Amino acid sequence: MSAPAPTAAPPPATRRVSRALLATRMPSAATAALLVVAVTASALMQHNFFTPYGLTSNFATILPVATIAVAQTIVVLAGGIDLSIGTIVTLSSVVAVQLMDGDPGRVPLALAAGLATGAACGLLNGLVVAVLRLQPIVATFASSYVFGGLALLVLPTPGGTVPAEITGGYRQVIALLLPVPAVLLLVLWLAWRLLRAHRIGQYLYAVGGNAGASYASAVPVARVRVFSYTAGGTVAALAGIALLANSGSGDPFIGNELTLGSIAALVIGGTRLSGGAGGAGGAILGAIVLTLIQNLVFFAGVPTNARELVNGAIIIVAIALAGLLTARGGTSDGGRGRS
Amino acid sequence: MPTPYLQMTGVRKRYGGVTALAGADFAAEAGTVHAVLGPNGSGKSTLLKVLTGVVEPDAGEVRLEGRPLRPRGPRDTLEAGISAVYQELSLVEDFTVVDNLVLGVEPRRWGLRDRAQARRIALPWLERFADAFGGRVPADERVLGLDPGERQVVEICKALVRDPRVLVLDEATASLRRRQVEVLFDVVEELREAGVLVLFITHRLAEIRAVCDRATIMRGGTDVTTVTVGELPEQELVELMVGEMAAVGAAPSTAREQVRLEVRDLSGPRVREASFQVRAGEIVGVGGLQGQGQGSLLATLFGAERRHSGTVLVDGREVRPRSPKQAVRSGLAYVPGNRGTQGLALGRPILENMALPSLARRALLGVGLSRRREVEAARSAAGRMATKYGSLDDPVATLSGGNQQKVVVGKWFATEPRVVLMDDPAKGIDVRAKAELFGVVRDLAASGVAVLVSSSDDRELVEVCDRVLVMFEGRVVDDVHGERLTEETLVAAAMRVTGTEVGS
Amino acid sequence: MSTVERPRAAEQGDNAPGRATGVLRRLARDPIVVSGVAALVLWGVAALVSPAFASWSQIVTLLVLASFLGVIAIGQTLVVIAGGEGIDLSVGATATLAAIVASRHMDGSNEGFVGAVALALGAAAVVGALNATGILVFRVPPLVMTLGMISVVYGFIRLYTGGRPAGSAAPALRSLVGGDTVAGIPGVLWLWLGLSVLVIWLLRRTSYGWRLYAVGGNPTTAYLSGVNPRLVKASAYVLSSLFAGVGGLLLLGYTQTVFLRLADPYMLPSVAATVVGGTALIGGIGGYLGTIIGAILLTVLDSFLRVLQVGGGGDAPRQIIYGLVLLVVLSAYGRQKRLRQ
Repeated sequence: MSAPAPTAAPPPATRRVSRALLATRMPSAATAALLVVAVTASALMQHNFFTPYGLTSNFATILPVATIAVAQTIVVLAGGIDLSIGTIVTLSSVVAVQLMDGDPGRVPLALAAGLATGAACGLLNGLVVAVLRLQPIVATFASSYVFGGLALLVLPTPGGTVPAEITGGYRQVIALLLPVPAVLLLVLWLAWRLLRAHRIGQYLYAVGGNAGASYASAVPVARVRVFSYTAGGTVAALAGIALLANSGSGDPFIGNELTLGSIAALVIGGTRLSGGAGGAGGAILGAIVLTLIQNLVFFAGVPTNARELVNGAIIIVAIALAGLLTARGGTSDGGRGRS
Repeated sequence: MPTPYLQMTGVRKRYGGVTALAGADFAAEAGTVHAVLGPNGSGKSTLLKVLTGVVEPDAGEVRLEGRPLRPRGPRDTLEAGISAVYQELSLVEDFTVVDNLVLGVEPRRWGLRDRAQARRIALPWLERFADAFGGRVPADERVLGLDPGERQVVEICKALVRDPRVLVLDEATASLRRRQVEVLFDVVEELREAGVLVLFITHRLAEIRAVCDRATIMRGGTDVTTVTVGELPEQELVELMVGEMAAVGAAPSTAREQVRLEVRDLSGPRVREASFQVRAGEIVGVGGLQGQGQGSLLATLFGAERRHSGTVLVDGREVRPRSPKQAVRSGLAYVPGNRGTQGLALGRPILENMALPSLARRALLGVGLSRRREVEAARSAAGRMATKYGSLDDPVATLSGGNQQKVVVGKWFATEPRVVLMDDPAKGIDVRAKAELFGVVRDLAASGVAVLVSSSDDRELVEVCDRVLVMFEGRVVDDVHGERLTEETLVAAAMRVTGTEVGS
Repeated sequence: MSTVERPRAAEQGDNAPGRATGVLRRLARDPIVVSGVAALVLWGVAALVSPAFASWSQIVTLLVLASFLGVIAIGQTLVVIAGGEGIDLSVGATATLAAIVASRHMDGSNEGFVGAVALALGAAAVVGALNATGILVFRVPPLVMTLGMISVVYGFIRLYTGGRPAGSAAPALRSLVGGDTVAGIPGVLWLWLGLSVLVIWLLRRTSYGWRLYAVGGNPTTAYLSGVNPRLVKASAYVLSSLFAGVGGLLLLGYTQTVFLRLADPYMLPSVAATVVGGTALIGGIGGYLGTIIGAILLTVLDSFLRVLQVGGGGDAPRQIIYGLVLLVVLSAYGRQKRLRQ
């Protein structure tokens, strides 16, 4: 055919651009809006919110929640989910607290053991999911019994002591307004950015976005999945250590609530639960929003018996809001990993 | 005889009870474009997937340049210099085009991804294909926003970025527009010059004749013969592919006087003010360049896409379906353009797929089903379509592509539709299945049904339809019928060249 | 010439013994058979270790315990089959809610029985409707929506009870679960049997059931075939909450008085029972018969581990073994597709 073939008109460029903008910006905007609302409300209701003390105590509770949310995000991005993450937090924290035994000299050993425990739990989950190919929800549900049981073996009742150096250091304030937990949170985020800049970070998104396509593109899918669970487990162990530093002692029952919170935080932060889109930055923001809301309900003078309901309702509305805005863009933050 | 560049011997593969490859042999030389032809289910895709390492063969050997190749996965074939463009796309939708192009082969610097280098690798290919993207270079656009043809081009670029010695194009042209195919063929020529072996699967004869040097014909999981394309008349090529001649062939029109479907000024997301009539017993085609709103027109009529304005009458009564459910009630039936994602619940049994649109008709009080009655209904529909199946309880995924499509069509018989809308029903099915399918469409029309069928293949439209509506940018721009109904007029009308300018 | 001949190629059995092994292999891959055999083996081992397990009364007790999980898992099965990442984690909270509402209104007498049951199931249905709204209108992923619903429901319970649940089960309910027997079998088991027959009929022989599978298998296809997938999915969530409510009432009959978080331990096991029974979380595959077996298997396992009192009767070893056995049973078949074919 020699006649000049006019190509079919592609959709107007402006629409393409606006669509791309919608897809990248909306969820981040939604999360940011929620954050602004939560911070403003907190500042209004908590008189000491912007004092060193207020910031420290807020960030002290935020850090563990945010860290677990980041751990869950790493798993979810690659297309998995870890329902055992709360028990991994628990198990690694009780292992660490038992080894510390209140002795500052044993802290390095205890921290290393705690991290190794988290990594080992994650590795087990990863192998079960990637090699035995079990459905992640049920597999990690089953392993949560194992980890929870082990935690009870290690520390049957709440107890153990964390050296004062750690609990004290955790609540330090650097340079007037910068609490240590906030600095740690920043370090966590920087570590995430580093991972994101690495091949394996990109592969998390690829595998979660389309495992079949990734496999055909020579991405080592099974290894990426194992990595995501192992990395998630390791970060969860960090959260366990943060919890220890915050509370000063170990608790073998602390985990279960945390799993649910981690999932809520990452969804509020714009990560797609089916994988391939989102990021740890969003999860951190989501965790901040979630924690502030809980504090707000407390400070707003809601009657004790109504507190749980109000809390739950607000979280659902926040998730629905984030979900609604995410769904409109087709994806959330997407493969760009902007957060 | 010297060892061929690529040699595959005795390759076998079974999926459960289905033999996909029964000891196929294959050989090809570097610097050639080699077509692999055959009906659906002949094993050609599986053979090439064995080569690319996606499918693990039960037996057989692959040698590249005389050295045995035993890929344990796509990583190994990548290292061996084999890249593939698959039928089902292997792109990550959320990624940008550049990120997709370098996926799995990301350049690194200091252990981290080197984005600048990635662009340097990817851009030359995207620029080479700029014409196929309507003149732009969509490096930073996400695949999500690209249309199917553009995605396919990205897929092709992705294979090329890997700098292959063997390039596999598996139905890579199926969703491409004419211009895109032209660019691709230019590149294929260049690759041949550079000594690359290009393996090409297609159902389009014209393309085989345009670029292929050699062709291997496969049937029933083995290779039948290998021929030099230029030495063989087209007719013989078709016969080799099908085993016997099974062209659709023209047939007398069964159109009656009564207007069954009348559309006035219909507008939808990608349809603008379409007006036309289809009479009872008439088969009307919807043609034009790809992506001019043909699929949208059918989906809008069926209530699957939102109608902005316009009137639709079936047998003189206005219908205004806001969902397919209402459309079915008004006597419409719809065969969607993609059988895997739209037409079938692949994991469910044939029986349930067949029964789905007409469940309420047979159910007691609209609820209770009798297995006997369901089986009878499904069997009769399958029989009318000459569907080949093992058991009605087998998942529909176990059928070959052609037979799957027969289920997609057959499931509508029991709803006794008055208007049947078909969106490119013969896409990706082999010549014989196509002939059977259109035979049934004719029978439907003969029974008084109005059929509206879109197709990406002009020859198909000419052979099957009484009239063809040509669409351009969402509008019906021509109504080709009678003496004018030839491939040449359709092509000319599609590109908005007046009929007199194209002589034939 | 090195021909790669893999053992798989030899699997094709044309002769009679070959076909027999083929049937066996298919049986060995059938989740219902696998879980059934696993349950029987566990029960056998339990009976050897502790002969009381083999007694009729112990079997009845086991089945009664399984019936709570089994009834709660009915809805879970429907929701999972309906697909779209369908899962209902709020079943435990919903069951508790129903039990608490019913117990307050029954208050230990048969007078307000029907009203209390209706009110309890109504409350449960509201939870289901909320789930469906969040998932289908606001497009919240089911896992998150139903997870979030847990705290809402427990929050409501706290507000409703002021932290101290009141009342107790009506005598009629008590006797249904623990009292009078018909042909030596407690009423609750007859009820479970009836519900099972109903649900299996619903799934296999009604247009609703077939539509549910179609929606789970491919919602687009279902939509383009004249089915309303959102309506079908929404009904699955409402039914799920209703059956959870029924389960909660049965539990109330068993425990007689209520406490906060009564049915919490049934949340994830209801998913596990469903999956162990061969209903895949991808949707469109499975059925309730498997879930029944799954519920019995999990109950036998749990009771056996309690009887064994490994490690001095502490909770920890029981939990660990429970998790490990679950993993083993799941890996026997609950696999996902391989990427390489």
